[in-house]
Amino acid sequence: MAEAARELEAAAGAALALDGVTSGYGAVSIVRDVSLKVAPGEIVALLGKNGMGKTTLLKTIMGLIPSRGGSVAIDGQAVAGMSPARLVALGVGYAPQEQPLFQDLSIRDNLRLALPSDRLLPGALDVVAGHFPFLKDRLAQKAGTLSGGEQKMLILARALMLRPRLLLIDEISEGLQPSVIDRIAAALAAVRGESGASMLIVEQNLDFALRVADRWAVLKLGEIDDEGPADPGARERVLSHLSV
Amino acid sequence: MPDTSALATAAPAARSSPRLSRAAPFVVAGLAAVALWIAPLALDTFAVNVLTRSMIYAMLAVTVDLLWGFAGVLTFGQAAFFGVGAYAAAMALTYLGADPVWMVAALGLAVLAPAVLGLAVGWLSFYHRSTALYASVISLVVPIVVVQLIYSGGEWTGSSSGLVGFDVLPLELEGFFRLAALALVALTLAAWIFVRSDAGRALVAVRDNDARCAYLGLSPKRIQIALTTALAGVAGLAGFLFANASSVVAPENAGFLFGTELVIWVALGGRGTLLGPILGTIAIDYLAANLSGDLPFLWQLLLGATFVAVIILLPGGLADLARRAWGATPFSGRAAFAPALAALPARPAPDASGAPLLKIEGLAKSYGALTVLENIDLEIRAGELVSLVGPNGAGKTTLMRCLSDGTEDFRGQVSIGGASTAGLTPNRIVALGVGRKFQVASVFESLSVADCLLLARASNDGLSPFGRAETLALPQAALDVMRMTGLDQMLALPTRLLSHGQKQALELAMVVALEPRLILLDEPTAGLTKAERSTIGAVLKTLTGELGIAAVLVEHDLDFVRQISSRIVVLHQGRLVLDGGVDEVVGSELVRTIYSGGSHG
Amino acid sequence: MLLILDVLTTAGILFVVSIGLLAVFGVLKIINFAHGAWLTIGAYCAVIAAELGLNPWAALPLAFVIGAALGGLAELFIIRPLYRRPLDAILATWGLGIVIGQLITLGFGRDVQMTPNLFSGTVEILGVDYSAYRLVALGAALVIGVVFAAAMEGTRLGLSARAVIMNETLARGLGIDTVRVRLVTFMAGAGLAALAGVLLTPLTSVDPNMGVGWLIGAFMLVMVADASLVALAVACLVFGAAQVLISTFVSPILGSIAIAVLAALVLRVSPKGFSRA
Repeated sequence: MAEAARELEAAAGAALALDGVTSGYGAVSIVRDVSLKVAPGEIVALLGKNGMGKTTLLKTIMGLIPSRGGSVAIDGQAVAGMSPARLVALGVGYAPQEQPLFQDLSIRDNLRLALPSDRLLPGALDVVAGHFPFLKDRLAQKAGTLSGGEQKMLILARALMLRPRLLLIDEISEGLQPSVIDRIAAALAAVRGESGASMLIVEQNLDFALRVADRWAVLKLGEIDDEGPADPGARERVLSHLSV
Repeated sequence: MPDTSALATAAPAARSSPRLSRAAPFVVAGLAAVALWIAPLALDTFAVNVLTRSMIYAMLAVTVDLLWGFAGVLTFGQAAFFGVGAYAAAMALTYLGADPVWMVAALGLAVLAPAVLGLAVGWLSFYHRSTALYASVISLVVPIVVVQLIYSGGEWTGSSSGLVGFDVLPLELEGFFRLAALALVALTLAAWIFVRSDAGRALVAVRDNDARCAYLGLSPKRIQIALTTALAGVAGLAGFLFANASSVVAPENAGFLFGTELVIWVALGGRGTLLGPILGTIAIDYLAANLSGDLPFLWQLLLGATFVAVIILLPGGLADLARRAWGATPFSGRAAFAPALAALPARPAPDASGAPLLKIEGLAKSYGALTVLENIDLEIRAGELVSLVGPNGAGKTTLMRCLSDGTEDFRGQVSIGGASTAGLTPNRIVALGVGRKFQVASVFESLSVADCLLLARASNDGLSPFGRAETLALPQAALDVMRMTGLDQMLALPTRLLSHGQKQALELAMVVALEPRLILLDEPTAGLTKAERSTIGAVLKTLTGELGIAAVLVEHDLDFVRQISSRIVVLHQGRLVLDGGVDEVVGSELVRTIYSGGSHG
Repeated sequence: MLLILDVLTTAGILFVVSIGLLAVFGVLKIINFAHGAWLTIGAYCAVIAAELGLNPWAALPLAFVIGAALGGLAELFIIRPLYRRPLDAILATWGLGIVIGQLITLGFGRDVQMTPNLFSGTVEILGVDYSAYRLVALGAALVIGVVFAAAMEGTRLGLSARAVIMNETLARGLGIDTVRVRLVTFMAGAGLAALAGVLLTPLTSVDPNMGVGWLIGAFMLVMVADASLVALAVACLVFGAAQVLISTFVSPILGSIAIAVLAALVLRVSPKGFSRA
């Protein structure tokens, strides 16, 4: 009890607080003893090479993989064991990386599925239109027929619809051309400006990550290897962890 | 959580009294046979009659248990084979008579006909990439078809009323009881010895992980087809006994409903235990005969409800309860078996100067409109350790799959030592000298460390169906992997108790035990600690540097790649963009941009 | 002409009988071997409706509601614990089917029950006299198929169900309550099975084990359709035609196993059945 209370106290004041989180699949621990905080309104970039546990960490926070140890708190509230549905209700938005869209469904249905009720759809569509107007004009189009960049914007728009307080974004810049990356960066900045949302973004694209984030952390073999502010010296320091 | 130290200390105890433990099943079987021989003296006619039938059904339960409990194939089809055997016997006896010659012919027919049908059913059910569900579907169809054929047989099969009144073996009621008892005891003893033999491990291995079996050079489908055929023959034998003991056969003896009853008996008794299904079948069938007269519907209701409850709450059946009770007694120290390790004589190192061992020409693969690999050309010679690197989605794992499975749908040519792999299933590519280690450690979770290695040698050395080999001879390199990782001290330990790193090492040892010329390794260090990674790295350097094995390694940890590779190949968006020495690739600006994510689009 | 009508009506009846099983298999990825028992429950709802003196057609909504309610209980207590053991779920639902069959036997006896005809007589179509009820059954199949498709396409729950079929992980990650979707789908599937049971009453005798005979055919059709409604309709037409033609021209006994054998062969050649064709 005392320990739980202490953890919650440590989490107070943070939009997201991870303390000693361990998780994985089967017998394998992919993420080991990760502690990380995201302050209200802060954007933290989670970097690292493939297979280092970044996506697994996001899925663990989102309640898609049960955590084996440690605690996850959102706005000071312990959320371990909660279903994704409850986390969405608490104000968490999630943009996944693997198979992130229902390819055979329309843009409209892809958006609807992220809402707890269709009554919220008009308001949600206004949010979407605010960031990516093209989506509202093509609601009947199948998601699978969108270009790669348009699909990524749809994934992000869907995560933004309910005006979340905390956004978990997995490799949103993957495979995108610079102009689309600029639009996404602008959208993230606008969201933070409007609602003060906090974000944890998993990235491979270092330049994009350092552009939008306030702080970064490098995950290596499931553990936090290094972290620091997104200042001018950050690029070289992070690259020393990433390249060959 | 089982106590691992207890298992480890139990191993020597097993070796101290091997003769006693090996004789035990025969002694028990002999005692059971004697007891059943004199049992008719103490039983009334009704009981003798019913129990004769129950024991014949118990033989079928043994076959269902071997298929479902051990080999993992849920089958409703044993009833069909039983019915075919019973009908073959009954028809032979009806139309040929019961002279000794014809009796032998009837017996032969009763075993052979279902075995041939079993072979056909096995061929239909098991093929490369077949699913467990499909085999169950087929096992449902077979009894339905057999019953309809019986119906359409007209006078020959007696149609819906079956065959009655044919001549049978010249035995009294007690004689049939004893015959059924002896057959059941003999079958049980044979099954008991088989599932505990080296070959019996292969059944469990196919159930646990048929992909791993194939990549050890064993053919899972051949094992499954052989088992289906053999057990169809056994079911036919039971049918022969049934036709003789009851002198009546009817379509429902072959039906799908009887097939489900067999599964219910086995599930209640405890699948995978042999004795559980036998005792369960006899008890349930005997109770049914006694109760169903007075309370027919209530009895069925009770049985159905118990079955549902057991499936949900006690998947191991009543035998599981018995085992738990036994486990609480002080006699329960079951010794785990482990053979002694020995080294195989070393093979001469392959000639590194000759033709390339692996040759890939113009390989391309796409899923629909999505191109995953494009125009890959690559040659690898003996003794080379080639690392395959590149970001997620570059096509690395797909390439490994195309190399190790010739039935993958790809364009271009892959040849191993000059032989094309086109159309070859994984087990046949293993026979060409290719070993593959998977990304997620792929071992047999219900077997021991020693059993996993035994199966890795099976395609070379065979498996005994009668007992356990006392020694397990492995190539020196596999022994080295075991020693460096401490696995040689854990031979009797079930692999599910191993750590993730130990499982990775065990899988590597299994692949090395195949004595391959080429090893394909998909992220062998994923999820390992630093110490474990350097051990694996040292092993790989020895294998390639000293033994002349070629290795292809997919790896994300570039520090690791830099330390051990002799060559690095960079894949990016399905194309081979760079192929060169370690320094050349590591210093390349292209690799730097790929890994900082800048060159997308 | 007679043959064409036979093929169409046979396909319609097969479709009605299979659609509930298809819904459950698509969303829960579990094969409900108690499906036959729910057909029986539906048929006995028609018996009850007749005893209560209700209009025979009133048995349809009655059966749907009772079937769905019992389905909800079955999902909660039997299906849910076995969600990760699909082969065991086949066995447990089979056991449940036995229990239901025996409970019905205890309540109603094992004799064949008489039910009032929903629709009797023959009508003349293009020069042939044809059973009016078989045509009604075909119409019912079309209505059920259209309503089901409309519910899947047009309602919020249908959308969620389709999302779970297509990608359950993503559906869960977006906050869809997949546990509830599974429960409601199972209830709908059970309700549809009971509805089909009522529609079967004029065509077969009603007894406690009547559903078992339909189970295997429905199961094979669903395997071939692989969770696609359109593929199920195609499978019903193709295999229904095969059944009618073989029964007419070769032998009724071979016709009765046509669906099972042909479906098994189709699955051997193409494991995804008709859904990818």
